Amino acid sequence: MTDSVDFLPPDSAGSARRVFLKQLAAASSSLPLGKALAGGSATAMLLQSADATAAPSGKPVINTVYGYQSFGPDEAAFVEAMLNIMCPADHLTPGGVDCGLAIYIDRQLAGSFGQGARRYAAGPFLQGAAQCGPQLPLTPEQYFKAGVAEADRAAQRLYGQLFDVLTPQQGDAFLQQLAAGRVAGEQLDLAEWFNSLVYPLFAEACFADPLYGGNVGMVFWKMIGYPGLPATHALDVVQYLGKPYPGAANPKSIADFS
Amino acid sequence: MKTRASKTVVIVGGGLTAGLIARQLTAKGVEVLVLERGGDHSKGPESSLPNQRDELRWAVRQGLIQDWSRETYTLRHQHNQTALPVRWMESFLPGQGLGGAGNHWNGHLWRWAEYDPQLRSHYLHRYGKQAIPADMPLQDWGVTYAQLEPYHDLFEKLFGVSGQAGNIGGKKLPGGNPFEAPRSGPYPQAPLQVLESGLVFKQACEQLGYHAFPQAAANSSGAYTNPDGQKLGQCQYCGHCERFICEANAKGSPQVLLYPMLRERKSFEVRLNTQVLGLRYDAAGKRATAVHCLDLLTGEEYEQPAEVIVLAAFTMSNTQLLLHSKIGKPYDPVSNTGVVGKNFCYQVNAGVDLFFKDKWFNPFLASGSTQMVIDEFNNDNFDHSGLGFLGGATIQAYQFSGRPIKGRRVPDGTPRWGTAWKQANADWYAHSMTLGIEGSCYPHRGNYLSLDPTYRDAYGRPLIRMTFDFRDNEQKMAAFLSNKMMEIARHCGADKVGSLQGLVTPFDSRLYQTTHIVGGTIMGETPHDSVVSPHLQHWDAHNLFVVGASVYPHNSGYNPTGPLGALALRLGDDLQRYLQRPGRL
Repeated sequence: MTDSVDFLPPDSAGSARRVFLKQLAAASSSLPLGKALAGGSATAMLLQSADATAAPSGKPVINTVYGYQSFGPDEAAFVEAMLNIMCPADHLTPGGVDCGLAIYIDRQLAGSFGQGARRYAAGPFLQGAAQCGPQLPLTPEQYFKAGVAEADRAAQRLYGQLFDVLTPQQGDAFLQQLAAGRVAGEQLDLAEWFNSLVYPLFAEACFADPLYGGNVGMVFWKMIGYPGLPATHALDVVQYLGKPYPGAANPKSIADFS
Repeated sequence: MKTRASKTVVIVGGGLTAGLIARQLTAKGVEVLVLERGGDHSKGPESSLPNQRDELRWAVRQGLIQDWSRETYTLRHQHNQTALPVRWMESFLPGQGLGGAGNHWNGHLWRWAEYDPQLRSHYLHRYGKQAIPADMPLQDWGVTYAQLEPYHDLFEKLFGVSGQAGNIGGKKLPGGNPFEAPRSGPYPQAPLQVLESGLVFKQACEQLGYHAFPQAAANSSGAYTNPDGQKLGQCQYCGHCERFICEANAKGSPQVLLYPMLRERKSFEVRLNTQVLGLRYDAAGKRATAVHCLDLLTGEEYEQPAEVIVLAAFTMSNTQLLLHSKIGKPYDPVSNTGVVGKNFCYQVNAGVDLFFKDKWFNPFLASGSTQMVIDEFNNDNFDHSGLGFLGGATIQAYQFSGRPIKGRRVPDGTPRWGTAWKQANADWYAHSMTLGIEGSCYPHRGNYLSLDPTYRDAYGRPLIRMTFDFRDNEQKMAAFLSNKMMEIARHCGADKVGSLQGLVTPFDSRLYQTTHIVGGTIMGETPHDSVVSPHLQHWDAHNLFVVGASVYPHNSGYNPTGPLGALALRLGDDLQRYLQRPGRL
């Protein structure tokens, strides 16, 4: 593993939001943070001009859940920037944060998954064959956060800036290099961290039932044509053999039957 | 520790085999107690709409699977390595709760090849004395397919199996499997609907001269009432089968077809949330005297004596209970002595994705068993002369689900995120299909189960240690079968054929492959080479019986449930004989 990220020109203007959030957090930690300043809605406001898939009303359905249970401000900034790179606002979906992907990951880490439920946690913790799976004395939440901190330091080392203020092009290149094992971590294997923990959470955030906070408006189900519930298809399987299934355009989720 | 009142038959594990044994015994009024570590899933969100359709909860987070924080396994590939615990297992998925893995299985139901129970003799007869490598301890089971056939027939009727017979009484039938072992009658129900992916596959196979047939399955193609009066609903092709409980009661499961009926019978009792920690063994008397239990709701430990004890837990647990209770001699690969833990086998997998711009596969319109299969290159259904390996695999076009977290296909070279990734998912989700192989895994002297010297479970017992890898024979077989599969793939008329996703070596616990692990408490004709007799009776404790895939001395290129059901029903009948006159069967 080498530290050979291709350098892209740093974006000096990009740090403004992060600095502002930090100053605000320091100066007024007891004050309620207005919705417009919490991570999700900032990009939501930016999105108004973006070309996103529109709901029937013409406006894209976006995340309306604010406030994190697990992430601190730096972690939120990293994760939001990452998700808006991995899921940019485009003709297919709104940006990742507006799709609820950050809320999804935050809630998973704060919940039983993040706390290591049903995962064998007894020591000793020895390193060995990768095929045995990760051998770290960390819960998934702790592992996620340790990786964010190391990745952020790697970004600073390579670009002179924290990850969330890189341009989208720089951030994307950084993630590509990290996933490919070309960004050395300090104590962690950052490629393993990204590929075994972060990436699966990203895919789940996109495609799990909206019940868990991601896939807002079933935007990813609509994108691929997954019809969701109730999925009683005994007749459909005959009628739509080899033909488009009309229900795929209008999926239903658990909430629609609850 | 308290000792509870003795029972006639105590069965460890409340899954498929326990239910079938109990059916035979309680029909004759024999007292049966089933001990199950998990609870009852039949009334929860896992069994009801809408939450049954939650891919994240049940499939990704393994909501019905063994709690790895309590019991897991350690893994190493060679016996001179240090094993590490698998902290979150993906490669195979034992169940937890009444019904066991029979709740979350896909429903594929195979009878194995007629020669499978005599596989060693078969290979020696066909290819000569040098046919079987010295490090491949294949052995005959000591029972024949013909002896098991009536039990296969009963099991298929009880579970309402849907399928197309290929061989009734030696007469080959069009549309079925020409390699099928002879059946006494047709399947109880018509086969499942053949999907577009199956039609594409069938056409390609016909060009190549192969005979594709629909998978026989315990997914009910219609409404069905079994010989016990238990009912199955019609399969809804909902795509939530494997890793899920069927809320429509359309999947043959012990929780649907056996336990509700058994609980109405006076001589039957099931104790849920009861962890079995070990067995009490009287080595001098060659008897297992009691089961050491832990009530997981109250924390109470007690001994449960019994006249007969049956181990009917998952493969790994059956082996662990014998090793931990020091019953039988543990297998040692260096000295090649001992039997408990021997012949641990898995299964061989490979696959390829196909992409068609103009075909609609609708992957979400599927049951857990909607696949078309060929059997031409399975086991010894083809000539192995000069090939340098034994065994084989089915090749199939499978379509079991369009669940979107795990069930999407994108062409080679697609980025892993970003607009191009999203576009590829949008373009190909409904327009792609997969071919796969599922193949045999023959025993190897170096593949076995033992007790780990370092890591312990939540109850303080040593974890089971897997020493396993896909050895030379399996790697060669996988390469041969992968070539055959890719040839079919190229005949399917796809716009894009993905690259081969070959057998992953070394064995990797992080990838789901199959839950079909076998061996560890193998059956055979002598105490020298087996843990249990052909009647599944322990050689060192005549009132102790073991049933499950742990008794298979090899794994075939078929799912293991068919012979499992047949062996369990036969054991139920054998135990009636045993109780009348306890001794060696």
